[in-house]
Amino acid sequence: MSIQQYIQDVYGAIKSLLKGMCVTGYYFLHPKEIITEQYPDNRATLKLAERFKGEVVMLHDENNEHACTGCTACELACPNGTIKIITQFDITPEGKKKKALNTFVYHLELCTMCNLCVEACPTGAIVMAQNFEHSVYDRKQLIKTLNKPGSKLRAGVE
Amino acid sequence: METIIFYCIALFILITGILAVTARHIFRAAIWLLFALMGIAGLYFWMDLNFVAAVQIIIYVGGIVVLIIFSIFLTQQSGQKMAQASTKQTVFSMAAVVFGVAFIGSIITRFYFVESHNSMNTAVEHIGTQLMSVTQYGYALPFELVSILLLAAMIGSIVIAMKQKSEPKNN
Amino acid sequence: MISLEALKNEVQNWLQLHVGSTMALIAESVLLGILVIALFAVLGLLLVFMERKVSAVMQIRLGPNRVGPKGWLQTSADTLKLMLKEGLTPDGADKFLFNLAPFIIMIAAMLIMVPVAFARNFQIWDINIGVLYISSVASISVIAILMAGWSSNNKYSLLGAMRSGAQIISYELSAGIAVITMIILTGSLSVNDIIASQENGWWIFKGHIPAIIAFVIFMIAVTAETNRAPFDLAEAESELTAGFHTEYSGMKFALFFLAEYINIFIVCAVAAILFFGGWMPFHIGHWQAFNHIMDYIPSSIWFFGKTFFLIGLIMWFRWTFPRLRIDQLLNLEWKYLLPISLLNMLLMTIVAILKWYL
Repeated sequence: MSIQQYIQDVYGAIKSLLKGMCVTGYYFLHPKEIITEQYPDNRATLKLAERFKGEVVMLHDENNEHACTGCTACELACPNGTIKIITQFDITPEGKKKKALNTFVYHLELCTMCNLCVEACPTGAIVMAQNFEHSVYDRKQLIKTLNKPGSKLRAGVE
Repeated sequence: METIIFYCIALFILITGILAVTARHIFRAAIWLLFALMGIAGLYFWMDLNFVAAVQIIIYVGGIVVLIIFSIFLTQQSGQKMAQASTKQTVFSMAAVVFGVAFIGSIITRFYFVESHNSMNTAVEHIGTQLMSVTQYGYALPFELVSILLLAAMIGSIVIAMKQKSEPKNN
Repeated sequence: MISLEALKNEVQNWLQLHVGSTMALIAESVLLGILVIALFAVLGLLLVFMERKVSAVMQIRLGPNRVGPKGWLQTSADTLKLMLKEGLTPDGADKFLFNLAPFIIMIAAMLIMVPVAFARNFQIWDINIGVLYISSVASISVIAILMAGWSSNNKYSLLGAMRSGAQIISYELSAGIAVITMIILTGSLSVNDIIASQENGWWIFKGHIPAIIAFVIFMIAVTAETNRAPFDLAEAESELTAGFHTEYSGMKFALFFLAEYINIFIVCAVAAILFFGGWMPFHIGHWQAFNHIMDYIPSSIWFFGKTFFLIGLIMWFRWTFPRLRIDQLLNLEWKYLLPISLLNMLLMTIVAILKWYL
């Protein structure tokens, strides 16, 4: 090892160590950077990150209509069988039989929040909600029906 | 008061010394030796020889006992109790003890304890200049000799630890 | 203004008047013992809390904030828990040495407190070899670590103890040489003389580049000597399950933990004495007016301020740098720190001979 290399090593080491210390020093002097959320004290004002995923929900508008056509794309996309779609055949005004959604069964206890079902949905009927307080006393309560009772397919969604 | 402290330290050194010799676990023996050496350092402090006491602790406690403990760590089966000394060993060690006591006793009875009156200058500056002085009672020559000895030991250990440059492989 | 010096003289005079001089000596010794133990307890609580808060803020967290206002009572609660816990002794352990080791490490830490000057004329014993005494007594704690590791009868403890021991011994070299570098400037080993020599400016400013290099080397070496991150591979939680004190629990563990923090305080106090003038206020040469203003701040505040600043620096190291590997550790000491500190000592000798400092 040449003497020049040696001095360069020492210089580089000190420089990189100081750089690291600058980062932690900056955080030390700027307590506003702290990202800790004091849950549950700040439950009312809690703001989650934009892409945080809590559970799958189905969007319903004010007329109690949803956009799910019962195509089962989400069921096929799900890697661990979380979604089970029960379909029925509606009779259209023209007298044709048409596949439609009866019950959207969602097993929250199996879900890994992978977002694949949301990406697979062709009509944008389901989204990921940010609710994360899922604890219940009975496992059966985790099996959810996502379409609200009496809801129907929004007109114009194919 | 002073005398009481002296006898306390002396008793401590003697007891730990005896324990160091008689302990059946080698690690415990090393620890008792450590206490005996620290007692001697305490004796130096009692005599107001601060520098010697500090050096005693640095060299014996920080150096030699640590070295002994490391060699115990690296020895196989050092956790076992050592075997009881054989009769032959006991007899010889007893003889050595008797001889030692008789030798020291004879010296003491012949010369007694003479009270020294020349007060020592124990300031560190004085010790330093004395160590480097080339006048009478200076320690420059022994100091240089010891440093050459240490240098030789250091070079020797480097030579032993040095890797042989592996010859270029032919096959 | 109440200073520690005046308080000390008051107590001394009262004792001399009301009890005999022998009794006064004994009473003072007992008082000192109590004071040192109290200081240890307060330092332990404070430093552990400080470490947790500093680490939290550096990692953009909040740290302990539930027990007491802003979490101030967290360490007290932890201490209470440790006191109530059972102190286990493993079955195969060498029980005598196992129980002795925590006390040895505490006694060593207490003995080092002796020559440390906490304020103007406030020192237990102005021993004329102060700094040498500190480094000699500090070497006793190695023995306690080795003792603890051996007597635990646990291979992780033994490995941790050996690593710790090897590390402390090898880094003692460059720490010692850094101290000697400063001794060359001061010309005395006594803590009081070292502080007095910095009346017209601290050595880190007066000593030019060699003093700064010595300071950096000293801080690196003592971080390694106190077995703290980034040199904590001897106590690596993830590899050796905390090294030499794996088998300790309850108060015996607490003593090791406390001794670690006390050692940090002591090495920072030594660094403050050598490089930042101990209790000496910030003086610039012969600016009498400025120096007088600085003298109004009590000397104890100067001392503790500097020491805690240096402790903060060591904590900053810990929460920034990743842990070193054993070969990197040895390379750093033997290939970088030791040659540089030897050269630096030579440089300092030249500076001292030519009197380039003020």
